[in-house]
Amino acid sequence: MTASILTVDDSPSLRMAIRIALTGAGYAVTEAGDGVEGLAAANAAKFDLIITDLNMPNMDGLTMIRELRKDPAQCGTPIIFLTTESDDAMKQQAKAAGATGWLVKPFVPEQLIKVSRKVLGR
Amino acid sequence: MQEQTTTQWGADGALEVLTFDLQEETFALEAIMVREILDLLPETIVPGAPSLVGSVVNFRGKIIPIADLRLAFGMPAAEATVDSRIVVIELETESEALQLGIRTDKVHEVATLMRDNSEPAPAVGLRWRRDYVRELVRTQDGVIVLPDLATIFRTFLGAGDAAALSTVH
Amino acid sequence: MIGQDPIAAFRVEAGELLEQIEQGLLDLGHRLDDRDLVDAVFRGLHTLKGSGAMFGFDALANFTHHCETAFDRVRKGLAPATQELVAVILSAQDHMRALVDGDGKGLEATGDAILARLQAAIDGAAGTPVAAVAEAPAQGWRLFFRLPPEAMANGSNPLMLLDELRELGECKIVARTDAIPPLTDLVPVECHIGWDVELRGDISRDDIDDVFIFVMDDMELKIEALAPEPAVETVSLPVAANDAPPPAEANPASGRPAAKAGESVRVPAERLDELMDRVGELVIVQSRLSQLAHGSAVGSEMALRSISEEIERLASELRDTMMVLRMVPVATLFGRFRRLVHDLARDTGKTIDLVTEGEATEVDKTVMERLADPMVHLIRNSCDHGLETPEERIAAGKPASGQVRLSAHQQGGEVVITIRDDGRGIDRERVRAKAEAQGLIQPGQVLADQELLQMIFHPGFSTAAAVTNLSGRGVGMDVVKRTIESLRGAIDIKSAPGEGSTVTLRIPLTLAIIDGLLVRVGEGRYVIPLAAVEECIELSLEDDLRSRGRSFITLRERLVPFLRLREMFETGTRPDPHQKIVVIATGAERVGLVVDQIIGSHQTVIKSMSALHRDVTTFAGATILGDGGVALILDVVQLVTLGQHQEERLRAAG
Repeated sequence: MTASILTVDDSPSLRMAIRIALTGAGYAVTEAGDGVEGLAAANAAKFDLIITDLNMPNMDGLTMIRELRKDPAQCGTPIIFLTTESDDAMKQQAKAAGATGWLVKPFVPEQLIKVSRKVLGR
Repeated sequence: MQEQTTTQWGADGALEVLTFDLQEETFALEAIMVREILDLLPETIVPGAPSLVGSVVNFRGKIIPIADLRLAFGMPAAEATVDSRIVVIELETESEALQLGIRTDKVHEVATLMRDNSEPAPAVGLRWRRDYVRELVRTQDGVIVLPDLATIFRTFLGAGDAAALSTVH
Repeated sequence: MIGQDPIAAFRVEAGELLEQIEQGLLDLGHRLDDRDLVDAVFRGLHTLKGSGAMFGFDALANFTHHCETAFDRVRKGLAPATQELVAVILSAQDHMRALVDGDGKGLEATGDAILARLQAAIDGAAGTPVAAVAEAPAQGWRLFFRLPPEAMANGSNPLMLLDELRELGECKIVARTDAIPPLTDLVPVECHIGWDVELRGDISRDDIDDVFIFVMDDMELKIEALAPEPAVETVSLPVAANDAPPPAEANPASGRPAAKAGESVRVPAERLDELMDRVGELVIVQSRLSQLAHGSAVGSEMALRSISEEIERLASELRDTMMVLRMVPVATLFGRFRRLVHDLARDTGKTIDLVTEGEATEVDKTVMERLADPMVHLIRNSCDHGLETPEERIAAGKPASGQVRLSAHQQGGEVVITIRDDGRGIDRERVRAKAEAQGLIQPGQVLADQELLQMIFHPGFSTAAAVTNLSGRGVGMDVVKRTIESLRGAIDIKSAPGEGSTVTLRIPLTLAIIDGLLVRVGEGRYVIPLAAVEECIELSLEDDLRSRGRSFITLRERLVPFLRLREMFETGTRPDPHQKIVVIATGAERVGLVVDQIIGSHQTVIKSMSALHRDVTTFAGATILGDGGVALILDVVQLVTLGQHQEERLRAAG
C-alpha cells in the first residue's frame, strides 16, 4: 500500500517541492500550511509519516509535535522536522518534543526521499 | 451633425449580412457583428431607461440590453410571435465591446448584398429619420435596409464611444 | 493560480516574503524593542534563505544567510536592534528582490557593499560550519546498541535500523534481553531490548552513524572495528566524474528564466471549495448526460432539456465563482505605499505617519493593479506638496508629524478609496494664477471653489512652484484622472486651507459580491445592498392612504421621507396589500423605500449595466438570480439623495 505522508510547512513553494519529490517516489502526500492545520489533518486521517517545518505562524512545529505526541493515536508515527538551524539547541528541543528525525535545509529531493525511506522502511 | 457610418463593403463589392424583419420591412446587419440568435428570453424592464433600450436580459451571465429598433423607425411596439427572435450583436466601442440584443419579428438568413445594388437613403420620400439609415439595397425580394446603429444609439453613449462605433466594419 | 512550476511559485512567494519582511522592518523602525517584529523579520529571512537554497537561488540564499544571522543575534538578545541595522536590511531587502528576479550576475559588488555595511552594523560574524572529516574504511565492525526507551513512541523502529545495518553488509545480530523489566513494570511502547551486531564488509564508520543518526545522541552505542582480515588487494575504480548532473546554467529548463513568472493570484481555500462544489455538480450532470446519450429515447427530450438547463446554470455559476477568485484585498496595494511614504519622509526631511483603514476591502485584481500608479502619484503629492515641514507645522500649531491616511470601503457597487493629508491644503491663489497663466480661465473670472480645484486636473497643470525630484515624474493629475475614468471611476478633491486635502476615488467594481435584500416591486425584482438597510417595517394600507401626498413616516420621532418605488418605476400594478418600507441609510441620512414584498436575503454578484444604460443612475448594477432572471441593484446613494431632495421640496412647499 502507498505510504501516506503529511507535510506541514508555511512555504507553498517548499510544500510543492516536497510534494513533487515525494509523489515522484510513489508516496501519497497531504499538505498543511501551519501547525494548526497540520494537527487538524493528522487528527482527520492516519499518516505513515509527518514531515514538518519548525518555524511557522499560528502554531510552530515544536508545539505541533508536542501536541501530536500527546495523542495515543500518534504513538510511533515517525515525525521528521526540517531545520536550517546551525546550532544544536533547536534539534534537541525538537527531539525532546518527540520528533523522530530531521532533515537539514536546504536539501535535495534525494535526501528527502532517503530520509522518508529510512523511517518508513519502504 | 455627427457623420454617418460608412458601410465597409468587401473588395469584391459584396457584404455578408444577416437579414431580419421588423413589421413589413426587411433589415440587414453585417454578419460579422452577429454573435447569436436567441429565442425570446425573459426580459427585465429597466425603469427610467429609454424605451428603445428599455429592458435587459441575462445573456450567458452578462447583462445585455434589448433594443427595439421598431421604435427608432416609428413602428408601434408589437407582441411577440412564434417567429420572434433576439439577434445578439457586438459593437466595438472605444472602451469596451458593447453587446446588445435586437428584437426582431423574424430572422431570415445570412445573405450577400452587392454594392452595385445599393444606394444612399433618399433625401425625400423616406418615412424614417434619414440619418438612421445607412443604405438601401435592392434584392430580388425587395429593398433591404441597412440601419445606422451608431447613430441610433449615439444618444446613449458618450460622444467618443459613438465616434468609435461609426468607424467599425 | 500557481501551476506546477516550483521556480515560478518560489518567485511569487519570495515576493510576498520580501513584502512581509519590509513591513516588519518598517514597523521595527518605530518600535525597535518589539520582539514579535524581530521574530517575524527573522522568520521571513529564514524562510527566504531556506527555500531560496532549495530552488537553486544560491546567491540569494548566501546573501540572505548573513542578514538572517544578524537577526538571529538580535532575536537571541546577543545584539540590539538598531536603526542602522533596520536601514541596512531594508536596502539588503531590495538587493534580495533583484536576486529573486535574476541570477545575481553583476550584482556581487552591490551585495558585498551591503554586507560590509551589515558587518559594520553588527559585531562579529557567523561562524563557518566545519566540514566533516571522512574516516578510513574498516573491514568490519562489532557494535552494541540500545535505543532510548521512548524511541519507539517517537517513531523510530528498531527493526528498520537492523534492516539498514543488514543492507550495509553481512550481519550477525543477537538480541540482549537482560534489561527488560518484569511484566508488571513493562510499558508496552517502550523498547528495552539491546542488540549485538557483527557487521562485515568495507563499511565506513559514517555509514553506521548514518543508520543511527536520529537516535545517536540519546542511545547506548558501542562500536569497535573488527580485527583486519588478511589484506585483500583493492582495486580503485575510476570515479565517473562526468556523471555529475550538468550545472544549472547549462540547463535552461531547470535554470532561472529571465522572463518574469506569469501573474498569480493567491486564493482563499474556501473559494476554491466553492469552485470544487460546482465542478462536482458538473460531473454529476455530465454523467446524467452520458447516460441519456447511451440509454433509451423514452422521455429523453424532457430529460435533455433539464440537463441543458442545469449545465447552463452551472456554467454561469462557475463563471461567477471564477470571477470572485480574482478579488484581492486592498491591503496588498496599501502595503506597497508604506515603503513609499518611508522613502518620501526620508527624502523630504518631513515626519510622516501613514494610517490605513479598510484594508480588507476587496477589489478585482486588474482594477487594483491599475490603481497603483495613480495612488502613488496622489500620495507623493500629499507628502511632497501637501504636508509641511515639522517647523512649519509647529509654527501653524499642528503636531510636528504630518499624517497621510488611506482608507477603503465598499459602497454599493463601488469601492471608495480616499487619500487624506492634514497638510496645508491646496493654495487657491496659486491655482488661479497658474490657470490664468495657462489661459484656462480669464483673469478675474468668477469661479466656484470646486471649479477652481478642478483646474488641477487639466493637462500639464502643476501647482508646485518648483517641480521637485519627487513629484515631477512626468505624470500629472490629468493622467491620474484619466486612469481613474478609464476604470469608469470618478475622482473628487476637497481641500481646506491649513487643514489638508482629501482625494476620493470611486471605482465601480467590475464584479463584487455583496449581501443583498431581494425585494419585489410590481412584477420586477430588485436588490438593495444589505449594508445600507437599517430596518424593514410594514406599511399598512391605512398608513399608505393617510400618507398619500406626504410620503413621510415617523420613525422614532424622526420624519423619514419615503419613495414609492412602484410609482417611481411606473409598474402600472396595484400595491400589494402588505407593502413594506425598507429604510436605508448613508451616513446620517435615511430614506424609506416602499416595496411590495421582501423576498429575502440574496448573495449578490454585481454585474455592471450596459454602457447604453449609463444614464440610468437609479441602479448600481444588476445581478443574476437563481432562476436565471435578472434583478437590478438599487443605487443607495442616488435614492437617498432623491429622497432628501423630495424632503427639501416638501419643506419648501411648507
